[in-house]
Amino acid sequence: MTTVQAEGLSLRFRRTTALEEVSFTLDDGVTGLLGPNGAGKTTLLRILATAIPADAGRLRILGADPRNAAGRLAVRRRLGYLPQNPGFHQHFTAFEFVDYIAILKEIVDGRHDEVRRVLHAVGLDDQRGKKIKALSGGMRQRVGLAAALLDDPALVILDEPTVGLDPEQRLRFRELIADIGEGRTVLLSTHQTEDVATLCRRVIVLNQGRIRFDGEPSELAGMARGRVWTSQARAEGALAGWRTGNGDFHNIGDPPPGARLVEPSIEDGYLTVIDAAALAGRAS
Amino acid sequence: MSADDWHVSDDDLRAYAGGTARPPWSWSTEAHVAACPRCRQRLAQQADPSEVHAGWARLDAELDAPRPGPVEALLLRAGVAEHTARLLASTPGLRKSWLIAVGFTLAVTTGAAHLSTWMTVPIPLLAIAPLLPLIGVAISFGPRVDPSYELAVVAPLHTFRLLLLRCAAVLVTTMALTALASVTAPSFGLVVLGWLAPSLTLTFLSMALLPRLGPVAAPVAVGVGWLALLAVTVQRATGESVLFTAPGQAGLAVAAAVAALALWKVRAAFDTGRVADPNTRRTM
Repeated sequence: MTTVQAEGLSLRFRRTTALEEVSFTLDDGVTGLLGPNGAGKTTLLRILATAIPADAGRLRILGADPRNAAGRLAVRRRLGYLPQNPGFHQHFTAFEFVDYIAILKEIVDGRHDEVRRVLHAVGLDDQRGKKIKALSGGMRQRVGLAAALLDDPALVILDEPTVGLDPEQRLRFRELIADIGEGRTVLLSTHQTEDVATLCRRVIVLNQGRIRFDGEPSELAGMARGRVWTSQARAEGALAGWRTGNGDFHNIGDPPPGARLVEPSIEDGYLTVIDAAALAGRAS
Repeated sequence: MSADDWHVSDDDLRAYAGGTARPPWSWSTEAHVAACPRCRQRLAQQADPSEVHAGWARLDAELDAPRPGPVEALLLRAGVAEHTARLLASTPGLRKSWLIAVGFTLAVTTGAAHLSTWMTVPIPLLAIAPLLPLIGVAISFGPRVDPSYELAVVAPLHTFRLLLLRCAAVLVTTMALTALASVTAPSFGLVVLGWLAPSLTLTFLSMALLPRLGPVAAPVAVGVGWLALLAVTVQRATGESVLFTAPGQAGLAVAAAVAALALWKVRAAFDTGRVADPNTRRTM
């Protein structure tokens, strides 16, 4: 089922173009949104979450038009949203905070049962009585995710939920997101290509406010096929290159004759599709 | 027969498990079961599993039941609905630290009015008191002061309703404290209540300007405007001002009504995050 239909979305902040002619659709399952800082990911997610309107373009979310108040309300009733920096009222406990969001979501019947359900879903049964300020960063993220899952939303928007988490927490979060993606639409903004590789059946790459790639993760990796090689010394002319753990250099760009080509990763594909300026910045 | 030899009869245990045992039999049964492992085991076998489950659920709910803080407890005692009290508990303008600051400011301004024997009008109190609800509302709404502002914006509960709720609570609280301060200065007569109309005017005007100016500039502009108005109307010798005469108060009351109407007219602008974020307000 198509959950989101976006056509020609554009938004400017004063003199900066944040989004330009962005078109895509979203279906059930987890879709990854990759892009460097300032690419417009958060702006796009805020538009989809009905936090801000686009200047131009057409958008339908869950069959409703968020440009009008009735449409926004219809979307908000079926939306789960975890912002990039979810703020917490520090003096609330995890239970109280999620309960506060449940009130904002106008959950009336069995509100406390619903709060317990989502806290259980994110594995915070034992922590629900703890003050937010006493929780670790990973646990706070889980509280935010629990709040996003209230009332079983049809569309879940997650803005860089794995940032700042240690590897174990990140793994735990990936398991949670994979579970959430069963039977609903999840849009996951991330910097981590590993998140995309493990979670997403589709990935959108955004750079400088435009969509640069939209397809399966394997297709993204394929974008760099024939453009990734290893060498024992830093390769001249490579758009990006770095020394790997075994001492060899991993290079992306136009390979020299006889280069030792390797199978590209999603990260290689991602670096290939973003513009040359970003590539050069990464290489340096 | 020793106490250890006596046990609750099957009939009584069944009645207790089924919730049909009446006092005082139920009390004695409960007291014995609490001390007798054998009867506890028999009770567990007799009890309906669904009743046991419901009991655990009730215990869970009781343990999770939010322990209201002082403000929330006060609101609940005043008859405010539980969900409304929870929403208000997150209002920075109702925090203890802010209320203490308001109380201190009122004490200082009232004291200054008392000490300035040449004044016929308690001008320090009348000048500063209207700024208190203005500041109280300013620190209760917006992305910089409400940590979960973004989540509130995209929730089905209309942001304007949340703003009004918080605004009303801050107004009532600060005005109650100001009224208490006024009671301590009866020698000035009715003019001591001259803060009431400007308090409403400044607060409503600031909120009405918020979509246009943002959450910082709007209250600052209104506060500076108020102080400028005082500067040009207050007579240095007596502290009197046309603002605190009957016509002046009537004018301020009309201004409050106009500002409230203007606020109502712009209420739809509070439905998205742009209203409170100067960086994302439409510029095209």
